[in-house]
Amino acid sequence: MIAAQDRKLALWNIGVAYIAFLIGTLCGLLQVFIRNDALQLPSWLDYYQILTAHGVLLALIFTTYFIFGFFVTGMSKSLGSFGPKVLLYSWIGFWVTTIGTVMATVMIISGEASVLYTFYAPLKASGWYYVGLALVIVGTWISSFALVGHYVVWRKAHKGELSPLFAFMTITTIIMWIIACLGVVATVLFQYIPWAFGWVDTINVELSRSLFWYFGHPLVYFWLLPAYMAWYVIVPKLLGVKVFSDSLARLAFVLFILFSIPVGFHHQLTEPGISNFWKFLQVVLTFMVIIPSLLTAFSMFGTFERAGRKNGGQGLFGWFTKLPWKDVRFTSIFVAMAFFIPGGAGGIINASFQLNEVVHNTMWIVGHFHITVGTPVAMTFMGLTFWLVPYLTGRKFSKVMQKLGFIQIITWTIGMLLMSTSQHILGLLGAPRRTAYTGYNNHPSALEWFDGILTNHVTMAVGGSILFLSAMLLIYIVVMTMFLSPKAELEADFVEFPMADSDKEHTPKFLENWWIWIGIAFALIIIAYAIPLYGMIHHAPPGSEGFKTW
Amino acid sequence: MKKTKPAKEENLKGTFVSVMSVGVIIIVMWVVVYYMYVAR
Repeated sequence: MIAAQDRKLALWNIGVAYIAFLIGTLCGLLQVFIRNDALQLPSWLDYYQILTAHGVLLALIFTTYFIFGFFVTGMSKSLGSFGPKVLLYSWIGFWVTTIGTVMATVMIISGEASVLYTFYAPLKASGWYYVGLALVIVGTWISSFALVGHYVVWRKAHKGELSPLFAFMTITTIIMWIIACLGVVATVLFQYIPWAFGWVDTINVELSRSLFWYFGHPLVYFWLLPAYMAWYVIVPKLLGVKVFSDSLARLAFVLFILFSIPVGFHHQLTEPGISNFWKFLQVVLTFMVIIPSLLTAFSMFGTFERAGRKNGGQGLFGWFTKLPWKDVRFTSIFVAMAFFIPGGAGGIINASFQLNEVVHNTMWIVGHFHITVGTPVAMTFMGLTFWLVPYLTGRKFSKVMQKLGFIQIITWTIGMLLMSTSQHILGLLGAPRRTAYTGYNNHPSALEWFDGILTNHVTMAVGGSILFLSAMLLIYIVVMTMFLSPKAELEADFVEFPMADSDKEHTPKFLENWWIWIGIAFALIIIAYAIPLYGMIHHAPPGSEGFKTW
Repeated sequence: MKKTKPAKEENLKGTFVSVMSVGVIIIVMWVVVYYMYVAR
C-alpha cells in the first residue's frame, strides 16, 4: 500500500471527481426529460445552463480530478512515496483547481455563463467564469509539475534507466497537456477576460475558436491516455500476463505528443476563415494520430490472445472464452474498449474533410462523444474505481459490491447503446446539436426525424434514465468503498493495485528522451499553426461584441 | 557450427483476424457515410 499522505491526496481528487459526476449526470437526466417535454424547469433555470453544467462538470472536471487521483496513486506506487515538496505543490494544485471549479460552477448556476463547455465567442459569459476556467488550468499545471518533480527525483537516483511504464505514460500525458493548454490559456487570458470585463469592446472570434481547438482536440487525448494507461498497464495484470510490448506501448504514447495537437482545424472544417490548404494539412496530421490508437488495438488483442491461450484457449478464438469475464475490473474495461471501435471509426468520419459536412454540428457528434469519452474513457474509469477506491481506503470490495459493479456496467452499456445510437441516427438525418429541441416551426421533415423507434424522444429518455440509475449505483459503490464498507483485516481481503510487469530490456532509450519529442511536437505545431494564426491576427476581421442569448 | 533451434513463434492468428475486423468496421462505417454524402 502507498504512503498515507499520498492516499489522502488521491482520495480527495477522486472524491471531487465523483461530486462533479453526480451533479453532471443529474444535468444529463434533466436534459433528456426537457427534450421529451416531460419536465418544465423553474424560471431561474434553463436548458442551456444545464447543458453547460453537464459538459463542464463531466467532460472537464470529473475527468481531470479522476485522472490526477489515478496519476498520484500510480506514481506513488511505481516511483515511491512523494517527498514534502511534491506533496505541497500537489495540494496547492488541487486547491487552485478546486477554487476555479467552484467559481465556474457558481457562474453557471447563477445564469451568468450558459455558453456550453466550448464557450464559443461571441457568446459572452461573466468574466469570473473565464477566471474560474483559467484557475482550473493553472491548478492542473501546478499538480502536473509536482508529478514531473517526483519523476525527476527518481530519474536522478536511477541514472541510465528507463522509468517504469506507468510513470513514463503519466509524464507523456502531462507533457501533452501542458503544451495543449498554451492555446486555451492564451485565448482566455488575452482575449476572453479583457473582453468579458469590458476592458476591450470586441473579440477576434476566429482566433479564439482556433486557439480553443488547438487545446480542444488534445483535451480529448488528455481523457483518453489515462484510459489507455489502464489498458496497457492494468489489464495485463488482471489477465495474469506481462505488458504485450514495452517498446510498442511507449512508442504509441510519444506519437500522441507529436500528433494530438496540430490537428485542431478538423473541428473547424466548415469555418470560412481558414484556407483549405491548412485544413487539409491538419486533416492529414489527424489521420497520423489514428496510428497509435491502432497500435493500441493490436496490442490489446495480442494481450487477450496471449492470456487466453495461457489459460488453455485453443483454435482461432478459443482464447476469448478463457478471459476472466467474472472479474468486473476486467469486464468493465473490455466493454469500454469495445465501445471505442465504433467511437474511433466515427472520429475518422468526422475528420474526413468533406464527410464532416454530413455530421457537423448534428446530434451525431453528441452520440460520438458519448461513445468515446462517455463510455470508453468513463467506463474505464469506473473499472478503475472498483479497485482504486478500496485500495486507497483499505476497505473490502465485497462480492455484493462486485455484483453491483456488474449491474452498473451492464446498465451503463444498455443506456448508452439506446441513447448514442439514437443520437447518431438523428445526426445523420440532420437534427442539430447545441440547441434545445426544435421542430423548426413544426416542419414535417424535422418532425419526421423523431418518428423512428430508435430516434424518438421516449427511447432517448429511457436510455438517459437508465444511464442516470447506473450513475447513482456507481455513486453508491464509491460512497460504500470510500466510507462505509468494512476495513480489510485479513491479507486476502486487501485490494491490490494491479500493475503489470513490463520487459524493458529491449526498449530503445531514445523513447524517453523527452527533448526529441517536445522538439518535433513544437516543429509540427509551428508548421500547422504559425501561418494561419498569423493570418487571423494580421488580417483580422472586425471583432465582435459579446452576445448574451439567454 | 551447431544450429540453434528457432524459438516457437507465438500464435497470434486470433489477433490478426480481430484487428482486420476492426479495419472492416472502420471501412464499412466510412463508406456508408461517404455514400450519404455523395447522395446528398
